[in-house]
Amino acid sequence: MEVLACKGLRKVYGDLEVLKGIDFSINKGETKVIIGPSGSGKSTFLRIMGLLEPPTEGKVFFEGKDVYGENLNLNMIRAKIGFVFQDPSLFRHLTALENVKLGLKVVLKMSDEEATKKAMETLKLVRMDEWADYYPAQLSGGQQQRVGIARALAMDPDIILFDEPTASLDIELTWEVIDVMKDLARRGITMLVVTHEIGFAKEVADEIVLMDSGRIVESGPPEQMLKSPKTERAREFLGRLLGGV
Amino acid sequence: MIDPNDLLFLLQGVPATLAISFLSFGIGFALGIPIAVARQMSPSLSYLMEAYEKAFRGIPVLVFMLLFYFGLGGFVPFLKDPFTCAVVALGLRSGAFQSQIFRGAINSVDKQQMMAALSLGMTKTEAFRYVILPQAFIVALPGLGSEISLLIKDSSYAFILGVLELTKHADILRKASRSFVFPYLMAAVLYILMTFPIANYLDKWGSRLKTKYGLR
Repeated sequence: MEVLACKGLRKVYGDLEVLKGIDFSINKGETKVIIGPSGSGKSTFLRIMGLLEPPTEGKVFFEGKDVYGENLNLNMIRAKIGFVFQDPSLFRHLTALENVKLGLKVVLKMSDEEATKKAMETLKLVRMDEWADYYPAQLSGGQQQRVGIARALAMDPDIILFDEPTASLDIELTWEVIDVMKDLARRGITMLVVTHEIGFAKEVADEIVLMDSGRIVESGPPEQMLKSPKTERAREFLGRLLGGV
Repeated sequence: MIDPNDLLFLLQGVPATLAISFLSFGIGFALGIPIAVARQMSPSLSYLMEAYEKAFRGIPVLVFMLLFYFGLGGFVPFLKDPFTCAVVALGLRSGAFQSQIFRGAINSVDKQQMMAALSLGMTKTEAFRYVILPQAFIVALPGLGSEISLLIKDSSYAFILGVLELTKHADILRKASRSFVFPYLMAAVLYILMTFPIANYLDKWGSRLKTKYGLR
């Protein structure tokens, strides 16, 4: 079943055309990884798919429904699309536990007791339960990011979008976050991930999508994309990313 | 030197001074936050709010008090009460000041915080209520401290309307005693004893919370 899709997506900021017509779809249970040079429009694409920004042109479909065309309630759909930011963007005045609880209480209207239970379970999944009462400022970048993942995951979303979740972390912190994400992928969580962690893509992705200059250049299963990409642009970019050739 | 009876007489003016200051601060708070949020959420309302802010920032509060008392008082009976009139004028001005304090504080909150709140499915109003405003409030604390001090000082304008607050008591004392300066000097000390600790406390409280939460 198709969870999230788009057709003919364009985004223009002033004179700058960031997305130049993108068709894309992801099914339930799939993990897709988006790679591409900086400025290729990956983050903009992800924010539009997360309904955090409207497209200039084109359609976004959530579970088959035309989100902007049918005038659906954006807040209700956003609640079903998890989003993990590059800068974890935890709510700074709340503890790790309160960060995870807030959406459960305010959006899903859970009781405090239910929300605490659910939040603690989710923090355990990302191995942050022991840090539940710490404020973001007291946590490392990797720990913050795992709480960010828990915050999105606790809402039981139909898909989670990750916008370069490890880009601002050093190598060991990257591993702890990537481990958690692999875990989620294996649990069958639908994930759309912008990342350059090619090991992650190799292990758990169903498809790698290469974006460049606002377009999808090529996409395919990891083995094919990494070993024998069809386009010259994909060969060049992947060659550099894999550190050889 | 200081006659205890004189001091006791002056102190009788302090409750009115504090009442005017805190009531008008309350009105300003109740006006300032919604106006600051409205200016963020709806640009069309912005012009109206801006006009209000400009008026109260650009015109002396004493002029507003006199306008309200002698002008509007004829149509709005409760403005004929000097105490109420002073509270309303100072409260409206404080609303204009506090909306600017909160606007700056809201702008200082990382834009991604709003994004993160929306991504969970919150409405914009919920995002303000649960995420943006609590953080903005912390950033605003030092500004709110100065605002309270300003109100305590400017509550002395109520003297013109005959409200029995601290400055009026000092004035009465001056007329009753042979000392022209001493009553005012004592009042000055009392004002400092009220303004300085409050502003200082809110400033410290703000810095402590900012460090705790790692806010800029």
